[in-house]
Amino acid sequence: MELNYQIPRPALIWTLAAVTLVLLPQSIRMPIWISVVALLCVCWRALIHNGKLDYPSRRVRVVVVLFTLIVSLLQVRNIGIGLDSAASLLALGFVFKLIEMQKKRDIYVVISLCFVMSMVAFLYSQSVLTTLYVVLVITVTMGAMIALNRSSSAASYSGTARLAMKISMQALPLAIVLFIVFPRIAPLWAVPMQAGVNSTGVTNEMSPGDISQLARSAELAFRVQFEDEVELAHEQLYWRGLVLDQFDGVTWRRTRNSSSYSLAASLANSRVSYEDRIRTLGEPVNYNVILEPTQQPWLFGLHLADDVNDELFSGRNFELFNDGRITQRLSYDLRSHLQSQTDVLLLDSSRNRNLELPDDVNARSLEFARELRASVSTDREYVNSVLAHFRMNQYFYTLNAPLLGANRIDEFLFDTMAGFCEHYASSFTYLMRAAGVPARVVVGYQGAEMNPYENYLMVYQYNAHAWSEVWFEGEGWIRFDPTGAVSPTRIELGVQEALRDDPAFMEDDLFSAAIFGGVGWLNTMRLRLDAIEYEWNQLVVNYDEDIQLELFEGLLGEVTKLKVTILVATLALIVIVGIGFTVINIERRIQRTPINKFYLRVCKELAKVNLVRRKGEGPIAFRDRVCAERPEFAEAVTELTDLYVQLTYVEKSVSEAQKKTDLQSLKVVYAKLKTEMPVLAGLRRAG
Amino acid sequence: MAFSLREALNKNYLRWMAKNAPPRDEITLNRKNIFIVPTRNGLLFIFTSGLVFIAAINYAVSLAFALAFLMVSIFILSIFHSFNNLNQLTLSSRSTQDVFCGEQACFRVQLSRSPKRRHESLEINFPNSAAHPTGNSTISYTDLAARDTEEVGVFTVASQRGEFKAPRLRVLTRFPLGLCRAWSVVDLSLHCLVYPRPVPFSMNQLDSGASGGIDSAIKREGSEDFYGLRDYVPGDSLRQVAWKSVARGQSMQIKQFVDYVDNKIWLDWDMFYGFNLEERLSRLCYCVIQLSKAGNVFGMRIPGSEYPPATGPDHRKKLLRALARYGAE
Repeated sequence: MELNYQIPRPALIWTLAAVTLVLLPQSIRMPIWISVVALLCVCWRALIHNGKLDYPSRRVRVVVVLFTLIVSLLQVRNIGIGLDSAASLLALGFVFKLIEMQKKRDIYVVISLCFVMSMVAFLYSQSVLTTLYVVLVITVTMGAMIALNRSSSAASYSGTARLAMKISMQALPLAIVLFIVFPRIAPLWAVPMQAGVNSTGVTNEMSPGDISQLARSAELAFRVQFEDEVELAHEQLYWRGLVLDQFDGVTWRRTRNSSSYSLAASLANSRVSYEDRIRTLGEPVNYNVILEPTQQPWLFGLHLADDVNDELFSGRNFELFNDGRITQRLSYDLRSHLQSQTDVLLLDSSRNRNLELPDDVNARSLEFARELRASVSTDREYVNSVLAHFRMNQYFYTLNAPLLGANRIDEFLFDTMAGFCEHYASSFTYLMRAAGVPARVVVGYQGAEMNPYENYLMVYQYNAHAWSEVWFEGEGWIRFDPTGAVSPTRIELGVQEALRDDPAFMEDDLFSAAIFGGVGWLNTMRLRLDAIEYEWNQLVVNYDEDIQLELFEGLLGEVTKLKVTILVATLALIVIVGIGFTVINIERRIQRTPINKFYLRVCKELAKVNLVRRKGEGPIAFRDRVCAERPEFAEAVTELTDLYVQLTYVEKSVSEAQKKTDLQSLKVVYAKLKTEMPVLAGLRRAG
Repeated sequence: MAFSLREALNKNYLRWMAKNAPPRDEITLNRKNIFIVPTRNGLLFIFTSGLVFIAAINYAVSLAFALAFLMVSIFILSIFHSFNNLNQLTLSSRSTQDVFCGEQACFRVQLSRSPKRRHESLEINFPNSAAHPTGNSTISYTDLAARDTEEVGVFTVASQRGEFKAPRLRVLTRFPLGLCRAWSVVDLSLHCLVYPRPVPFSMNQLDSGASGGIDSAIKREGSEDFYGLRDYVPGDSLRQVAWKSVARGQSMQIKQFVDYVDNKIWLDWDMFYGFNLEERLSRLCYCVIQLSKAGNVFGMRIPGSEYPPATGPDHRKKLLRALARYGAE
């Protein structure tokens, strides 16, 4: 009895496997020592099972609880209350439970935590890969549950695995139906997402080297799909992120009036109304952007992007912001007027901000700018001559720019003459401001790769770019890209082409697009996989209340609570019944052999003379009863029954020919019985 | 109040069971006699799926919703699978050995399946019930995985002399996921005969009892069987002195031997005058066991029947059965 509460060996192995699998992706995000503690706990538990170590004593457990408490306090102090600290704590508690799990009931606590941890994995990523991994984790967890309830030691690991897979496959249809039709509910309370996660992508500061760092990464930044088959040339694809208008000699920054982006945006918008500042020209372009999590609030879009669904905030410089950091893939719809003009009238405060320069540095550049401006008559001519300067002289477009000293702009412009887009944008803007032309740096992405399978654009981190916007009287802010003057390939064909021979390009990624791009079928595979990811995102990850409501409206017409309830209940019922029938294989009626059929016919005949075989009565029992009730049949019935029993139950697997002769011999006996029966039946009737 | 309510429910349940699950020698489990409820672990699982669901709502994570729904459907599937693990399982009773009162009675139950099915991790026992307050009996575990039939012994304490009708048998399974337990309570009309509890006593006491006692059949002073020791009286043969005990420093003693002249012993109801019914039966039972162990020829007289002297296992069984059934008619 006691033994039964112990954990069987296979169950323990399955559980440890499930725990290891569920913690593995988490270990990347957790502090390394938690992973080490987790590993130690898993090993400890395995050793307990082998009898090498004992369960933790009371003292050890107290120490462990105190330790966890201290760690949780430290975590909260270091990275704040958020997903990361919660996940780490959960993981810690989880592995500590592991070492003190002695009984079957304890294992269920661990198993439940496995499911919770799988959910945590989804909070970080909802990609196809994560989903497949979680399905694997759940299957292994179910293997643990099965192994726990399986007493037969003969049951193999593969048998358990097969059953686990079978159950998860059978569970899928109902889960899918519930996923589609179960009404989604709006969040009950606000939950803090993580503050401490490393942000990715373009930031609100630009120092030399920042963008070239991004170019080493082949991670996806976002995907874009245009409506109405719009196709834009590569050089038109400037994905505007942030406008940086403050320069301290080293770093370009975004000016902020208050701590909150959205607040700043609303304040700025209130001073001069949005409509007054823009002049829309041409047809708008509609497109949908799916942004990968950046842990930053800003979004990317084409020139003068306008939020279609009115969920986003617009910044002072027509930047776009989300309400809160983007910790999950975010999908948003935008409308852009590519030809429109912005800020045709510039406020003085804004003009001054866009002319500000740090004092006492870069004297040579300052001098150069003033001389050049003096030699031409208009601002536009000045811009052109600066671009011509970049084009004519020996400037290099490279990721490995030499290090620069205090007078960065001077050194770059006149000495090193080699750099990445941030160097060009930075010095170009500097030269503009030095000559009294309002100018600012814009960071974002430039270019994209087309996925031909689903017709959408993929923008990678290496597409990160910086360019300038210059203000002209009567025209507003105009985009100029000095990088294009140095390396036209970068703008027209993309960064892969421009940096084809640069070893530093995408060096962070072993299997980068550049390497894949060289091999035909690999590249096809990469594009196909990304297309799957895109579809997954469109169909599953983005499935929310709105899409569900649309679906309901399509199915039901006007949506009422009653209708939805009926729909959910019917669909769930149909699926449950369907699954029930597949799981519970209904007993087929027993296949009747000729001998069987013959015996039943004999029984029917006997029934005519009031010898009815009762339900569930075996042939031998029936024979005995017949013998007792009608001794006159005894001989024939006994012979027939014995033969029948002999043929059906004793001799098995005989040849077809043999079966026929068996039936023949049965019939002979039956004939004997039959000669007696009509006589008797006649007698009965007469009597 | 609560207790009486519970009792009433139990009574109703038993009545319902008696009506719906009449005793039979062979019972095949199907949807009419299988019950399923979630286990404590199942409730924990459902609670966890609720947690995942709430997290999904709050973080608005689509796949966390999917995970919660997957958990729910796993739970529903586990109901089907547990049911399936009992469905179409056939139980039939096998003959049972007689036991002495107070011993564990072992009922043999045969489990069989159709070859297409598997039944794993079956737990079989007699559950505690109002009719049999002996408490839950030990659980027997078995699987129907490799073979089509399996025989299981189910034990319960035989607490009363006479015809013992075993309580309803419970077959229970938590397989495959342990989230719910499916069980069936069946009445296979398992029964056995319970002999009186043998009460050991010194049979020498009977010497002074009524005529027909054991020792009356013994002729003293023989040479066949060792009977005992007595103190040495001068004149005794030295060949009969127990030299071993003399060597141990004890006083001289004489080994007594007896010859059983009249081996036809009669056990009589009146030998245990003064005892109540059960005590008499218990003592008679002990005598029967002891005498048949010694291979004696003996007979027994109890009110209403008389068994002529005989010997052998059949005789023993006949007498014990008579004792077991005494007073039942």
